[in-house]
Amino acid sequence: MHLIIGGAFQGKTDWAKAQFSLDGSGIFECSEEADACLSAPCVTHLERFALYCLRQGLEPAEVLEQRAEAWKNSVLICDDISCGVVPLEAETRAWREACGRMLNALSRRADTVTRIFCGLPQRLK
Amino acid sequence: MTVFLSGGAKNGKSTLAQHLAKALAAGGPLYYVATMIPHDREDHARIARHLREREGWGFTTLECGKDITNCIIDKNINGSFLFDSVTALLANEMFPGLEPDLTAPARVKQDLLALADWAEHIVFVSDFIYADGGRYDSLTQAYRRGLAEADRALAARCDCVCELCGGNITVHKGVLPQW
Repeated sequence: MHLIIGGAFQGKTDWAKAQFSLDGSGIFECSEEADACLSAPCVTHLERFALYCLRQGLEPAEVLEQRAEAWKNSVLICDDISCGVVPLEAETRAWREACGRMLNALSRRADTVTRIFCGLPQRLK
Repeated sequence: MTVFLSGGAKNGKSTLAQHLAKALAAGGPLYYVATMIPHDREDHARIARHLREREGWGFTTLECGKDITNCIIDKNINGSFLFDSVTALLANEMFPGLEPDLTAPARVKQDLLALADWAEHIVFVSDFIYADGGRYDSLTQAYRRGLAEADRALAARCDCVCELCGGNITVHKGVLPQW
């Protein structure tokens, strides 16, 4: 599994497409409204999947661990939402923390971890 | 040489940019492109502080809150420029009055790329506002997306790209010039 993280609008998906020769049909974009297809070659906006899990009363890191067989060969992409002021809303606070735990767990399992900054890759692992 | 600097607020971007622009000038003309359009006492105080910080450096200030082609390229000057900041320029162009100008992001991106191509030496400063997880209204999201697209275009075009954190420099592309 290859993990790509970075701020919003930094070009993470564009970089993944070029780096891993992905075409649009292999890319699944998560939503906070519905379950994700974690076995897609590339799964984007995992932060939304984390919110979906939380709203089902589930811990995103645990859900991903239970379904690791699905994504073990995928490219997983997640927005970094970790750097602001502690959010006022309880759900947003829980989301931010759960998202951090999820990324820490995924980073440990990843073959590579890349951060995208202004379209440029920074290899973290 | 073209340099693009970004990072969070108060992490040393402007200070490094001043050093780099001066070093790249190598004794030649040195310009500070001032993008802030002051609206209140706080803005005037910030501008006064920035002016003090640049005192004695040899910068000629070019007031250029909007339309950088008109402000800089058409003036037929050249040398080493410090452009601070991409963030303010886009805000000025996108929010000129009561009605936002949604065509501004595409225009500003093209203007900045033209400036990068034209300037002999230039250091661009932007702000990294993309990792707070804030859930913004659609207009703010359009601004963030527009700024990110300008940042990415400049990062692709510039010779050197750096991120500043607590005064520490991460070089993402190229080689930092001697300063």
